[in-house]
Amino acid sequence: MPPRIRKASLSCPLSHLPLSTRPQPSSLIPKYLSQHGACSRDFSTSLQRSTGLRRDMFRWLNGPGAVFRDPAEGSTNYLSAYDREGNLNRRKRSARSDDAEAENSSVQEVPEEELIDLKPFPMNRNFISHNVLSEELREEIYSRVVTLGRSVRVVSAELGIDMNRVGAVVRLKTIEKEWQKEGKTLAKPYARAVMEMVPKTPYNPNNPIPHESINDLPVHSATMQQIFEPTSESRRFTREDAAKVFHPKLLPADKRIPHPELIELERERLESVPREERINRQRERLAKEAQLATWRKEKKEEYERKHTKVIAPKAGRWEFRFTDVSVDAAGKDGRGPDGVGWRYGMPHEDRKRGQVKIPTSVPA
Amino acid sequence: MVVKIRLARFGKRNAPFYNIVVAHARTARNSKPLEVLGTYDPIPKEPLDGEGKAFKDIRLDRARAKYWLGVGAQPSDPAWRLLTMIGLMPKKFTQTQQSQSQSKNAAEA
Repeated sequence: MPPRIRKASLSCPLSHLPLSTRPQPSSLIPKYLSQHGACSRDFSTSLQRSTGLRRDMFRWLNGPGAVFRDPAEGSTNYLSAYDREGNLNRRKRSARSDDAEAENSSVQEVPEEELIDLKPFPMNRNFISHNVLSEELREEIYSRVVTLGRSVRVVSAELGIDMNRVGAVVRLKTIEKEWQKEGKTLAKPYARAVMEMVPKTPYNPNNPIPHESINDLPVHSATMQQIFEPTSESRRFTREDAAKVFHPKLLPADKRIPHPELIELERERLESVPREERINRQRERLAKEAQLATWRKEKKEEYERKHTKVIAPKAGRWEFRFTDVSVDAAGKDGRGPDGVGWRYGMPHEDRKRGQVKIPTSVPA
Repeated sequence: MVVKIRLARFGKRNAPFYNIVVAHARTARNSKPLEVLGTYDPIPKEPLDGEGKAFKDIRLDRARAKYWLGVGAQPSDPAWRLLTMIGLMPKKFTQTQQSQSQSKNAAEA
């Protein structure tokens, strides 16, 4: 019996393959040429079945899809920004609008995206990809808040970025700087790659480009009802009155918006107060507000100091803070929300559905 | 029946939290008390500014505690310890301290 040794055979002879798939210098043929009949494994001699879908895929990869192999730099490369032949729609548009000028100037350069070019999903035309903050802008936010010590509110109004976002940027940048100090490696190449793919709001030092609408009125549940309120024609019905109609304790819209201080600024602008004067007045208002805030904080701290007794045993590892409370705060039935202590007759709700346990505020 | 000032354990496993309560001595630990005087959180919290020792937070209605002591409520040992700190009760020696002082006296005599 002959020894059972496997034949070291050339499993996929080259001569069987169609000419297009034979190994050739890669520079001569495009990457995705394997249309049909190629063996996917070295040892397989059977020809692979080629489906219509597969053929379509390769047709697309070699045809209109070829532009995505080398994506345009400094721009988004969404599918719907290109037409069926793989031409950039906005380049065609700009060429159409200014034939003569475009010929010599913007042949290489990619024109700026419009709203219609920012739809990454061809099947969902309603989805628009919105701008994200560019790296320089985020650095600027951090430096204004932390280095220059401006308030989040002011920086938000200056740069046209929502206050929540400004706060988040400052917090994340702080962590980033801490990590850099500790010598941790950051995923910078990853961040750069992602940032190249999305539209960005650049930082323009002289005339900042607003990133988003910052003064939207938040919807209050009390205002979700339709009310038919008869009022006298002879009297003015203002936003204050409207708020009172909704709920006696509801603040008017002018005070519920995130930046009520901008109203006064705009009013002065319409009254054509000179620019210098406006800036000075705004500065004064901000200073007054800051003063009030510090006064309130001091008051609170003083109250706490007065009502808190700190006992620090010399040998102990910790101190004891005794805060004076009132038993009467619980109310007559002992169930008031301000009452001291764990409540009786009230089950824990932390395992209940829909209980949010993520902290929503940072302890100051 | 004896009225006591004692601690009632609430909170979760490994996360105790106590109500400082005034209750009849023979009632269950967590039954509804005569009055809740305050709370005692025995888990030390780090100070927010990151300076100084960690602290244990105690909230107490001092005036009511004084009243209940005045009418004869008897603090349990842990409650006694807390009330000692704000000067509502005289210091009570722990057993080890007591034995130490006794042996000292014996040695002097």
